[in-house]
Order: sequence, then structure tokens, then C-alpha cells
Amino acid sequence: MSIETETDSATGDDPERPRGYVVGSAPSDVERELSHDEFDPVGTLSIILVYFLILVGMWVFMYFVEFLGGELTVVG
Amino acid sequence: MSTFVDRYPDEARVVRATLVVSFAALGIGAFFGLIQALHRTGYLRIIDSTDYYTVLTGHGVLLALVFTIFFLLGLFTWAVTRSLERPMPNIRLTWAWFGLSTTGAVFAAVAIVAGLFPSLDMSADVLYTFYAPLQAHPLFYIGLAMFIVGTWIAGADWFLAYRSWRSDNPDERIPLQTFMVLTTMLMWYLSTIGVAVSVVVFLIPWSFGLIETVNPLLTRTLFWYFGHPVVYFWLMPAYLMWYTILPKLAGGRLFSDPLARVVFVLFLLLSTPVGIHHQYLDPGIAEGFKFIAMTNTMFLLLPSLLTAFTVVASMEHGARQRGGEGYLSWLGSLPWRDPAFTGMALAGLMFAAGGFSGMINAGMNINYLVHNTLWVPGHFHLTVGTAVALTMMAGSYWLVPQLTGRRLYSRPIALFQVVLWFIGMVFMSNGMHRAGLLGIPRRTAEPQYQSFDFSATIGSVTELRIQMAIGGTLLFVSVVLFLFNVLLSAIEDPIEMPVDDSLPAPLSGADGSPVVLDNLRLWTAIAIVLVILAYSLPLASIVSDGGLFGESGTFPVFIEAVYWIVGVVV
Ligand code: HEM
Ligand SMILES: [Cu+2]
Repeated sequence: MSIETETDSATGDDPERPRGYVVGSAPSDVERELSHDEFDPVGTLSIILVYFLILVGMWVFMYFVEFLGGELTVVG
Repeated sequence: MSTFVDRYPDEARVVRATLVVSFAALGIGAFFGLIQALHRTGYLRIIDSTDYYTVLTGHGVLLALVFTIFFLLGLFTWAVTRSLERPMPNIRLTWAWFGLSTTGAVFAAVAIVAGLFPSLDMSADVLYTFYAPLQAHPLFYIGLAMFIVGTWIAGADWFLAYRSWRSDNPDERIPLQTFMVLTTMLMWYLSTIGVAVSVVVFLIPWSFGLIETVNPLLTRTLFWYFGHPVVYFWLMPAYLMWYTILPKLAGGRLFSDPLARVVFVLFLLLSTPVGIHHQYLDPGIAEGFKFIAMTNTMFLLLPSLLTAFTVVASMEHGARQRGGEGYLSWLGSLPWRDPAFTGMALAGLMFAAGGFSGMINAGMNINYLVHNTLWVPGHFHLTVGTAVALTMMAGSYWLVPQLTGRRLYSRPIALFQVVLWFIGMVFMSNGMHRAGLLGIPRRTAEPQYQSFDFSATIGSVTELRIQMAIGGTLLFVSVVLFLFNVLLSAIEDPIEMPVDDSLPAPLSGADGSPVVLDNLRLWTAIAIVLVILAYSLPLASIVSDGGLFGESGTFPVFIEAVYWIVGVVV
């Protein structure tokens, strides 16, 4: 893989390009470089945990609807 | 600075050709989707209900097989070329697999569409899950076989490229994108054996009338042996983009290269021994085998959660580099106006929702609740229909400029397009999931029964129908916008730098990770052992129960029974 640690900025409001633009040019306004050790993905962890709780909750709900919340439709 | 088309003009040409086939299939398939959504909800009926199966087959095959796999063929060729930094070893071979798979796809499509013209005496209304007792015209199966052999040769092409790179770089780690391509292809070789045997040994001779009967349970099982892994064949190109392109679009870097490798190895090992989870309701397979398949399926949650973590963490890295703070407010610092980024992020979000219905499908007991209802299309329009399809469309906004040297025609339209897909799918899949819970069946033009009403506890059936119809319409409009934007981009004037195509290095590179991760022989061997463990007993019992070619009267029995009933009633 051709690897450049620094990406050249490719955005900017170039008047020569009235239409269209350069896709994938997010890093143009990087404010600080974060290395592996400086980076602490707490946001990610919280998102995944919330998602996991939703999953478990909905599963229990479905299970309840099907098997406990009334007549058994499948078993027996 | 030059882009892909300048460095590898020959390869760019092949990749463009695969994308043309892919997007043509997308356009036709989406049109069929619109017809279905409006037909089965009763809002607009331009076909006969008897043709619904033909349209549904066209929709399933063109989108789930042709659109996705041709995109994969192009993407993987691009990925191998750029990550090994060398042209394909033999461009004639590359064109050969393109030609073979395209011819095959066209044959299959012709056989399907011919079903709409009764005078042609040809049809292939066998759905995307083509197994007995439904029977198609031989052209359909022959086309499929050519298509699959085409993908095999494509894989060989990429392995040859890897081999020549390896001889020049004996001690280096396999570049990540190539690693992803190779592990995916190993999985594909392993799993397509099932469908190849089913098509070549049983369905083709049967459709020619060379053999009287086939064992339907055997062709079903061989189909699903491939039918689950094909899901990962759709997903792996999306994963490749999420792991290697999305972090860059977010302004960050991939969180961990070794973790990405682990995920792909896990998919190679775990994708195939699970197909029986599509057969929970099939008689003739013992409960125990189904239970084993369910356990294996649950293991697949592991690489999925690893992926969720790694990909989101990479986005978070981008957001924090761009000034994002806090637990969640960094989400606001992501480049939401970039359609390539936003499309992929929304696709990922939909995939998370699909994870829920997938879990319901996977459970042996609770699956009975939703089996063969609209819930199931509701589920896979989130996964393949959005996670994969939307990622492919969004990724194209970044890829196509590299392949043509021309900039994207319109970013605002692109952004609108991906958001429109998301909204359309929220409606359609919500409607489908809930309709499924009411027991409304899938795959039928007339989902209502005489003197029986489906009733909803929340909302109403009419409301669900409206949601499906509106959602399906928005999705179709979204596809049209996508195709126009790409088409217009292709006829822009070439410019110096149409796209920022560099990919930053991962935060944590492959260097420190265990070398055994790159040992493809070892992983393949383990994958084969797992497949043998999962499948040899069920297959043996299916064959000993029903014979290799079936042993009861003529098939399709199902059709015979229908004739009989019609005869009695009329
Ligand atoms: C314009 C966008 C789309 C619309 C309006 C649409 C709509 C539908 C509808 C209404 C059904 C039939 C439900 C039934 O009667 O059982 C269906 C089935 C299906 N769709 Fe889509 N869909 C769209 C996009 C996609 C995409 C992008 C994919 C995959 C990449 C896809 C894959 C499938 C498959 C595999 C089936 C099932 C065919 C079968 O049962 O064999 N669809 N779709
Ligand atoms: Cu599956």
C-alpha cells in the first residue's frame, strides 16, 4: 500500500472550480495530529456499549412477545 | 501528483468496465424493485401478478449477485493493483475473466427476462435462491456457472499478482488491502464448491432432461452452503472500504491494521460452516445439526463487533484530529458534507440496525416467528441492500474520479442521494419488518388471503403498505440520481487532480503483529476442517435419506400437486 503519513490538502474554495470538488479531502483542516498513544476511543466505547444494550433489550422484548406474552405459537 | 488511471491505465479500463456492468444491473434491478414494492402493496400494478416471480428473480439476481459481485471484481482489482503497487501480471487474463463473467451474467439475465415474453418459451423464475424443485431454463444455470468460473479466474489473477509481488518482497507483510482480497477469495473458493456442485452436477443435467429427478433437500443444502458465505462476499468489499477508505475520508487513520487482519481471518474460518441456519425449518435435517449451525453463527458476532469497534474508532480518530471533543460531540466534527463519507457512515448505521434483525433470524426458536415473512427482506435490505449497496455507491464517488481522471459531477446531488437512500430504507425496511411480525408473507404478489385479515397492534396494515411504497419509490429515485451523477462525471473534462486518493498509514501497523496472521495456508486448512466438521454428517444423512438424485416420483412434486388441485377445483 502506498502510504503517506501526511495527506496533502486538496480542498479550499478554488475559484477555478465552480462546479464539482475533490472528494475525500477531509484532512485539510486537521487541528492536531493524534498518535496511537494519545488517542483514547472513549466515544467509540460508549457507542458500542449503548448499541449492545439496545440489542439485548430488543432481543428480550422479542422473546417476550413471542414466548411469554400470550399463547405459545410455536412450541406445544 | 497522479491518480490511479494515470499510473495503471490498463487496469483502470478493466475496473471501469466492471463498474459499468455493475451499475447497469443496479439500474435494472432497482426498477424491478420499484415494480414489486408498488405491486405487492397494491398502489400501482403494471405487471400481471403471475409475472411477479419473474420480476422478483430479476431483482434478486441482478442486485444481490450481479451488481454486488461486479462491483467487487472492480474494487478488488483496484485494491490489489494499488496496494501491491504493480500492474496485473497479465492484462489479457484480466479481460478474459471479465468477458467470461459478463457473458455468464448476460445469459442468466436473458433467461430471466425472457419469462416476461410468453412467446419465447424460456423462463427462470427460480429466485435468487435457485434450488429444486423450481426449475429454470438451462441457459440460466449455464450463465451462472460461467459467472462463477469468471470469479474464480479473477481470484487466480489476484493470487498471481500477489505471487509476483512476493517473489520481489520475500520478507514483507502482505499489504492490508491485498490481504483482505486474498482471504475473501479463499473463503469464496471454499464456499462456491457447494453451488458449483449443485448447478453442474444436478441442476444443469436436470434442466436438460438428462436426469429425471434431483434430491431437493440436497440442492437446497448445497445452495445454502454457499448462500451464507455469499453474504460475506457482499460484505467484504464494504468492509474493505470501511477499513481502508472510510478512516481517510473521516480525516483520520485506520485504528489497527492487525485487528483488521484478525477480522478477515475470522470470516474465512467462520463464514462457511453456518449455512444450515437458513434451513431451520427444513424437514430432513436433524435438530442437532441445526443447533451446531446456530452456535457457529453466534461466533460470527465476534468479528462483527470487532469491526464495529475498529471502524468507529477510526472515525473518532479523524473527528478528534479535526477538533472533536467529549464523549459524543466529536460526531459533529466529522465531514458530513462529503457524500462518500456520509454514505458509508449511514450504511454502517443501517448495518447496526440489521444486526438486530439478524440476531432474531439466527436464533433457532425465534426464527420460526419470522421465517419466510416480509421480515426477512426487511432484514437484508438493511444489510446487503444498504450496508453493502450504499457503501458501494458512496465509495464510487471517491473511486470513479480515480478511474476516469475526471471530478465528480455534483457533490450536493451525491449527498442528497445517499441521504435519500437512507430515508427510503428507513421507511421500506421498517414497513417490511413490522409487516413480517404480523405474518405477512414474502415473495408474493398477493399477500392477502380470502376472509383473513392481518391486523396490527400498533399502526395499521395500510400504514405499513404506504411506508413500503413510499420507501421503495425514494430508493428508486436515489438510484436514478446516483446513475446520472456517475454518468455525468464520466463525461466531465479530465483534470489534473480529480480526487485526493492517498491513503494514510494505520495508527498501529502490521509490523508488530504476529506473522502467523499472514499464513494463508494455515487458515485455509483450518477453514476446510471446520467445513468438514459442520457438513459431512448432515450431507451424508440427506443423501442416505433421499438418494443422490432423489428417489420419489417425478419432480417438481410441488407443481404436480398444484395441477391436481387446480384440476379438482376447476
Ligand atoms: C430501489 C431499491 C430497492 C427496492 C425498491 C427493493 C424492493 C424490494 C421488494 C419489494 C422485494 C420483494 C419482497 C417480496 O415480495 O418478497 C425485494 C426483494 C429482494 N431484494 Fe430488494 N429492493 C431494492 C434494492 C435492493 C438491493 C440494493 C438489493 C441487494 C443488493 C436487493 C436485494 C433483494 C433481494 C435478494 C430480494 C429477494 C429476492 C428473493 O426473494 O429471492 N434489493 N426488494
Ligand atoms: Cu446466513
